[in-house]
Amino acid sequence: MFSTLIDQFWSLTLSGIALGFIYVLISLGYTMVYGVLRMINFANSEIFMFGTFATIVISRDFLGNVDGTKSLPLPKLILTITLCLLGSMLVSGLVAVFVELVAYRRLRARGTNKLATLISAIGISIVLSEFMRIITNSRPTLNPRVLEKKSLFEIAGASFRMDTVLTIIFAAVLFVVLDRFVKFSRLGRAIRAVSMNEDASKLMGVDLNKVISATFLIGGLMSGAAAFFYTLTYENTKFNVGFTLGLAAFTAAVIGGIGNIRGAFFGGLSLGLVEVYASSILGTEWKSVTVFIILVLVLVLKPNGIFGEAVQQTRA
Amino acid sequence: MKLLNRLREGNLRDWGASFWEQSSPTKRKVIATSLIGFAALAPFMGFGLLDTPVSDYGAVLVYPVGMFILMALGLNIVVGKSGLLDLGYVAFFAIGAYTMAILGTRTSLNTWEIMPIGIALAMLAGLILGLPALRLRGDYLAIVTLGFGEIVRISALNTREIGGPNGIANVPVPPSIGPIKFSLNDQKAFFWVVLIMILLTIWMIRRLSVRRAGRAWEAIRQDEDVAELMGVHTLKYKLWSFSLGAAVGGAAGVLYASKTLFIAPEMFTLNVSILILACVVFGGMGNIWGVVLGAAILAYLPERIRFISDARLLVFGLALVITMNFRPDGLLPRKKREKAIVKSTQDGI
Amino acid sequence: MKKIQAGVIAALALVLSFTLSACGGGSDTIKIAYQGPLSGGEAQTGIDEQNAVKFAIELYNATNPEKKIELVSADDQGDGTVAAGVAPGIANDESIVAVVGPAYSGATIASLPYYKEAGMPMISPSATKVSLTDPAVAGEFGGPVFHRIPATDKIQGPALGKLAVSGVAAPKVFVVDDQTAYSVGLVEYLLPSLPKASLVGTDSTKNDTADFAPTVAKIKAKGANVVIYTGYYSQAAVLVKQLRDAGYKGIFAGGDGVLNSEFAVLAGAAAEGARLTGATVPLGELSPELAAKFKESQGVEPGVYAAESFDAANIIIEAIKAGNTTRATILAYIKTVAYVGVGGQTISFDANGDSTLGFINGFLVKDGKVVSTGAVK
Repeated sequence: MFSTLIDQFWSLTLSGIALGFIYVLISLGYTMVYGVLRMINFANSEIFMFGTFATIVISRDFLGNVDGTKSLPLPKLILTITLCLLGSMLVSGLVAVFVELVAYRRLRARGTNKLATLISAIGISIVLSEFMRIITNSRPTLNPRVLEKKSLFEIAGASFRMDTVLTIIFAAVLFVVLDRFVKFSRLGRAIRAVSMNEDASKLMGVDLNKVISATFLIGGLMSGAAAFFYTLTYENTKFNVGFTLGLAAFTAAVIGGIGNIRGAFFGGLSLGLVEVYASSILGTEWKSVTVFIILVLVLVLKPNGIFGEAVQQTRA
Repeated sequence: MKLLNRLREGNLRDWGASFWEQSSPTKRKVIATSLIGFAALAPFMGFGLLDTPVSDYGAVLVYPVGMFILMALGLNIVVGKSGLLDLGYVAFFAIGAYTMAILGTRTSLNTWEIMPIGIALAMLAGLILGLPALRLRGDYLAIVTLGFGEIVRISALNTREIGGPNGIANVPVPPSIGPIKFSLNDQKAFFWVVLIMILLTIWMIRRLSVRRAGRAWEAIRQDEDVAELMGVHTLKYKLWSFSLGAAVGGAAGVLYASKTLFIAPEMFTLNVSILILACVVFGGMGNIWGVVLGAAILAYLPERIRFISDARLLVFGLALVITMNFRPDGLLPRKKREKAIVKSTQDGI
Repeated sequence: MKKIQAGVIAALALVLSFTLSACGGGSDTIKIAYQGPLSGGEAQTGIDEQNAVKFAIELYNATNPEKKIELVSADDQGDGTVAAGVAPGIANDESIVAVVGPAYSGATIASLPYYKEAGMPMISPSATKVSLTDPAVAGEFGGPVFHRIPATDKIQGPALGKLAVSGVAAPKVFVVDDQTAYSVGLVEYLLPSLPKASLVGTDSTKNDTADFAPTVAKIKAKGANVVIYTGYYSQAAVLVKQLRDAGYKGIFAGGDGVLNSEFAVLAGAAAEGARLTGATVPLGELSPELAAKFKESQGVEPGVYAAESFDAANIIIEAIKAGNTTRATILAYIKTVAYVGVGGQTISFDANGDSTLGFINGFLVKDGKVVSTGAVK
């Protein structure tokens, strides 16, 4: 039962961390929106999905990386990674802003119940994924290889590959940038103000619509970055790719304490690790069950997640 | 035109309520009987505009339409009446269906004998989930119930003793009741059973709404802390609402398994929970007639528009977004005065 | 107010026109249905099959027969729940005399009760679950109305095992299923056929898994040199890539779920040398001429199960040609048919509905293409 875990411990741990960082970025999408609106952004999985397609379109169609048998030459590789990362972030960010405009804004202005907004978000999520399904004919889409997955170095049997290293470094950097941004920038302060008290911040002259749009944009940018690393690592996507990942990332956000940026970091990483360990001990088929049981236990013991809900919040 | 104006003002429901309140008991009886009679005749109206392409109209009336109405009414007790967001409602439906399938294929019990067992097991599951989960609030409750739904489905998928991914086939149809036979190619009998179950559920909800439980739910929905302070035993009433909702879901599951004859874990995905929740909110949360209308439309629409096969779900999603944006309280919202209370408390804070 | 009235009138007109168009079709046509996934995640399989059925019908209608055939598309999304809603509609529509399909076994099980009661003749081009033609399994047995062209998993399981380990001196086999009814059923017949003590481990992954790291770790920990995956092609491509990237050098094999030209495209270089089985032969291989004609009339290359779907449709067309226009007479005709299929072999059905075509073909991924290597013996 434990033989695989013992035999492959470090290699499993490494892949758990890499997967965990992708979760971290997606859960930031959920957590940012939750922080200001106190609402689950159900369409975040589709925001992520659009990012994966953006990466492929840029790399395959604009840059013509169709060969897919070996790594690109270094200058082209850097160009591809930069353009795809930025492009994917931008597309996801714009989709997020679009989602807010179409599914959230009108309802928020009228101050209606949360459930109506939730259903509206579910509706837009169905529209987005069906739209992509129809144009891709329900088929999975391949991202031709741009980066050979050769092992750079090995530590205790865990082979550090280029894509793993890139994912971990970039995701960590993005996380720190976001954390600082929300703490110190003017917009970040506005976001925190709205998250603390919407009405008071409005009175203090914060442009609510602008701040909320910006929050969706930032959440989208993070999900878009996740989409890029996902596509780089797994090299294909499908219209429903966001569903499973979105559910996992959302769970991660809740475990860490939704609305809390550092909670998302902790939740994402621990979820990535729990998933690989549970799969290797109990069998992959029990992975999700384990995750949900842990979720229930965490919430029963700490009803606001491990790091507490938002950094500063009391429910009005 | 008067009706159209009412519709635009959004108080058709209030108009209906006041009409009902002003009617004499005899008049009420006449209205109720004719409405029920009209609903019972629905299986005979499957021609012209109402008919569904490809799918059989009679079968569509039973599942999804009838079943969705039934489940939406059950979920409405939880979401609409007491304001608890439950995203794992499908679990109770699955428990009912599996109870029917396992007992129906392995024992000599028939559908009507299994029904109370299925309902009891679903209620028990509601209690087991509710005890830890109902201490949580809002979105945390939502994710825990969602997780519960997935746990039930995946456990069924992983347990080979109950068929695993193969599911369970050869579930028996219900035995005849007098002259009414349950046959596959003529589903009227199934529809009438669903109709009776729907009426029973409506009756139960209406009874409870005006009694202590209903008032406690209303208090919890509007402000849980205040309710607690006023001496409402919130956990107890939340558990009640949860297991009553579960009971209705379980009953629907038993009948579903007995109607479709074959069940598999893939039938009980998160999507079903979300769809049922959409029915509740779409029609008008907390209002029985709104929920019935919402469920009927959302269940019937995808079957009716099968001719645009590929864009069917896309249209469905659009309908959700548009309706919610323009009628956020649903097609037939709950009574105006109830909303007024909510509004004033919100403004007060 | 005017605007609203105009809107209502327009909406009514729209609905009316749909209703009218639905009522079209005279008595000189006869309807057959194709049932399979035409939307949802599995749509490609259904679209490929339906194209072949359409092709067969177009060829027949072009001969200006007395009774033209009209095709009814019954989309079940490959899903039992949806199928249980669609099947009664087809069964109760008296004008439909036969069904090609359903494509998937799960949808077939859910549809069977309705078709049995309606006496609807069915020929499936791709449902391979064993119990469908096994009278011992009450509730899943499809007789007398169900027939199928391909060999069942009872034959495919052992063939897949044999093909996977052939030429390997000391096989250490690891089997991965994807927790679908199809996949688990195939494993059931695969495991007993493996050489003694060669099985080193199994794993079940969800059919939407993206990260196979734990499975790959297990395979490496067990030192397996043959990996058999019994799920579908898109996941197979992800798994084989991750295996190769992790340095796995052994054999990768899969059943007919993996057998799809898209598999080689999605997995790229990692798919090279993968061994696949399927109860099908590519249409292009059987008759390049017909395949070219197919491309011309349908606008796409014939897909997987094109030949089987074509044969299934043609058997029903033959029955209609012979003057049978009711379900009962068509069913009787199918029971005794001896039809020469595209492959030149005679197809007939045994008492349980299995075809005499019971062979399993082997395939190899070579230079990015799936090529047939002949029947597995």
